Amino acid sequence: MAGVTQVRAPLSGQVIPLTEVPDPVFAGGMMGDGVAIIPSQGKLFAPFDGEVAAIFPTGHAVGLRSADGAEILMHIGIDTVALNGKGFKANVVQGQKVRAGDVLVDFDIPTIEAAGYKVVTPVIVTNPDEFPNLARQIATGPITAGNNLYTVSG
Amino acid sequence: MERTAVIASKLGLHARPAQTFTKAVAASGAKVTIGRPGGKAANAASLLSVMGMGLKGGEEIVLVSDDADVLDSLVKLVETDLDAE
Repeated sequence: MAGVTQVRAPLSGQVIPLTEVPDPVFAGGMMGDGVAIIPSQGKLFAPFDGEVAAIFPTGHAVGLRSADGAEILMHIGIDTVALNGKGFKANVVQGQKVRAGDVLVDFDIPTIEAAGYKVVTPVIVTNPDEFPNLARQIATGPITAGNNLYTVSG
Repeated sequence: MERTAVIASKLGLHARPAQTFTKAVAASGAKVTIGRPGGKAANAASLLSVMGMGLKGGEEIVLVSDDADVLDSLVKLVETDLDAE
């Protein structure tokens, strides 16, 4: 039986529903359920204590696994895989243990926007088969990194 | 047994193509691993693991499973440009 994982905001900025993300893959929930944050600051923090399940070579997305096994994907920006790492600096490696609040990635919002990409960041649960229950603690509006975003449970 | 395939999706097994691929693996019920030739194998049903490998379009991958039919259909999927669908 999986426990409850508290997911804290990995970014400071504005929370928006996934449906408002300008990418049908995320907006349609195909990748998983969650919310998106339009960051006001270029720092991605760990949303809980866990392990880096995947750090994309380009540094634009990170997957974290919580102690309970919930897997969260944080994908900085839309189509930013095409930037090939430009504007992103990853501070962690795959398999690394992290604590809530650790800075996972530094990114440069002006660089990304100047290249023509949006920085809106989906924060989604990628193993919904094991963690089908997602309870949002904020649906829209301003949020500070570290504040409660949602909980997931099995 | 194993099969190799060349990724046809331009941006690689990322986001949507990765999602399509891992869903197909999960739906098959077979245990399948994915890796670069000579590299570490990862669970092919895990979206995070597959996306985290950063596999690019045109790259060759190795799929391993006991189920030959599943492997054949996955090779076909990988060799389809999933971004164009």
